[in-house]
Amino acid sequence: MERRGSERSEVPLTALRHGETGIVTSIKAGQGRGWGRGWGFEKRLMDLGLTPGTKVTVVKSAPFRGPLEILVRGSRLALGRGMAERILVEIEKQ
Amino acid sequence: MTKQKLVIALAGNANVGKSVIFNHLTGLHQHIGNWPGKTVERAEGTLRFKDYTIDVIDLPGIYSLSTYSLEEVISRKYIAIEKPDIVINVVDASVLERNLFFTLQLIELQTPMIIALNQMDIAKKKGIEIDPEKLEKLLGIRVIATVATKGVGLFQLLEKAVEAVEKGSPTTHAEVKYGEEVEEKISQVAGMLDGVQFWYPSRYAAIKLLEGDEEIQREISKKDSKIASVAKKLASEIENLHGHSCSTVITSERYELAGCIAREAQKLVPPSKPPIEERLHTLTTHKIMGYPIMAFSLLFMFYSIFTFGGYTSELLNNFFYGLQPIFADLFGSNLVGELVWGGIEGIIAGVTIAIPYIVPFYIILYFLEDSGYLSRIAFLMDNVMHKIGLHGKAFIPMMLGYGCNVPACLGCRIMETERERLLAAFVTTLVPCAARTVIILGLVGHFLGIQWALVLYIFNLLVIFALGRIAFKTLPGEPTALIMEMPSYKSPQLKTVLKETWFRVVEFMKVAFPLIVVGSLAIKLAEIAGLLEQVATLLSPVTVMWLGLPLITGITLIFGVLRKELTLIMLATLLGTTNFALVLTPVQMIVFTLVTMFYIPCIATMAALLREFGWKKALSITIFEIVFAITLGGVALRLLLHVM
Repeated sequence: MERRGSERSEVPLTALRHGETGIVTSIKAGQGRGWGRGWGFEKRLMDLGLTPGTKVTVVKSAPFRGPLEILVRGSRLALGRGMAERILVEIEKQ
Repeated sequence: MTKQKLVIALAGNANVGKSVIFNHLTGLHQHIGNWPGKTVERAEGTLRFKDYTIDVIDLPGIYSLSTYSLEEVISRKYIAIEKPDIVINVVDASVLERNLFFTLQLIELQTPMIIALNQMDIAKKKGIEIDPEKLEKLLGIRVIATVATKGVGLFQLLEKAVEAVEKGSPTTHAEVKYGEEVEEKISQVAGMLDGVQFWYPSRYAAIKLLEGDEEIQREISKKDSKIASVAKKLASEIENLHGHSCSTVITSERYELAGCIAREAQKLVPPSKPPIEERLHTLTTHKIMGYPIMAFSLLFMFYSIFTFGGYTSELLNNFFYGLQPIFADLFGSNLVGELVWGGIEGIIAGVTIAIPYIVPFYIILYFLEDSGYLSRIAFLMDNVMHKIGLHGKAFIPMMLGYGCNVPACLGCRIMETERERLLAAFVTTLVPCAARTVIILGLVGHFLGIQWALVLYIFNLLVIFALGRIAFKTLPGEPTALIMEMPSYKSPQLKTVLKETWFRVVEFMKVAFPLIVVGSLAIKLAEIAGLLEQVATLLSPVTVMWLGLPLITGITLIFGVLRKELTLIMLATLLGTTNFALVLTPVQMIVFTLVTMFYIPCIATMAALLREFGWKKALSITIFEIVFAITLGGVALRLLLHVM
């Protein structure tokens, strides 16, 4: 069997349903109009534990495209939606 | 025997109880200032223990020792260059893995340290059991379990810290080892660094160079330009090998190690039902329930502050002005006496605002902060704040602004970038503070009805959003996003809250009082010299012709620079009545209130802006607001005359 399926299941963190868990594959930085501090934010997310291979659970999101509440490495973080869209995850299969 | 001096630094993540430990250790012997030339707070205190006089430095709460923020750079440099005798690494037992990630970096920096394994009680509630001895063995660092909020383990912590210094703590730290390929590159770069005089250990500097740390690249290039470029080349080799940037690889591996240690030292026993803190969190961040709860909490907060503040402020005012005749007897009513009284009036102005409004405001604010609720508010308000290019955290200084703009401007420090700090501060100066509320309620609310006051408040919010949006579009730079920890709820500590309040109030007085006094003196001098009438005449094209207000308002608007509610008080004095309906038409009342709402940051706020952003930006904001308020007032007058 081809392994294309696993490539396709790479989605932004915002695509996870509430309560769903994914595994971080990468963080898109340096994109968008003059995203000057891209490095800084990528680094910040890593420092908070969102490194590739890490399990991350989306608990919920605030209404009207508000921030996401996530659980990562035992800590609870609030992430702006724009930021969360840059985090790519693979959905964990049961 | 002479006292020996020791320096202990507290380092750790945010929300781990560092400041609680700091307060416990140093009591009231504290000094809160800024790091030289920076807008980052530096808290320092002293205590006596055995034969030592110990200086305790509370470093800012950070998650890493990289260069993401000023706080991180300051902490790193402080530890590496000023070399405190020992660092107490405060670790949150309830989020062990992430905290150990920071600990490992301290180890890499070859910091002499011991660990305070704090918030053991919260960890237990979450079902996390940690074996301090096992952790101690794994890390090779002394670990003391503490519950700082109850004072548990703190004496022992201090004892062990001093003991470690006396013994000259053996550096048998656990080794922070990376994968083979990475290790190879590290030793290559470290080898090149060995001959170079640098304040960071070579291995640490090598790791940071591979991670692409800009500060260290810059510093090392001054000494040997070759090293940085070699490191860059090696870093790209790792990138090619792993498919991730070298910095990502190193951070991941460091986190893996932290995870391994955490898993070995802790046992997870999930509680049978979610603890009360957890349920409270779910409720207060609920997509529907969260908002009424927030609205109710904030309304309650403002209602109690304004009730208490209004009452106390009047009491204090009466008391001070009751002293005026006694004072007049002492000095006589000559020039000197009048001038001195002018200065005293300035201080009275400060005190009658600071004590009644700012003190309770801070007390409630720190209760909310200490409990963890403020971060939930930031979570709920994030997308609203995004409309003006800020994120959820900016809601906090804005909220503060309704009490007083001065602490609100200083509170903008919580924003991550200079641009956001400025944007948040600008928006904050437009928020009607307690003094402006006195005018809105006292003039429009009282004489035209509360619905008009409400209209003005809503209009004010619209202006804030419109101007905020324009400023956000014009200021260069990109918006940042919310990245914030939401720590577990905990019951706030009265002692910590009161202490924070005390230091904030002192800070407020230091920033605001000098300018208030000088400003009061200047205006008093102008009054004595008979200049005020002339100024009022000079302003008449604006006040009378453009804004359609009585000539006298020119004077009151000048006094309002000192303290906004003086515009109303002076109006009553100069017009000889408090029944404003006799002397002002409803349209004039609205125009007057609109103008005072926006026309200039008061002198104390200007002082705060000056301190945070320098005179150029402070002046620009001030001039903009003057022009804006006058334009707005004139336009409003013409529109209202059509309607009313």
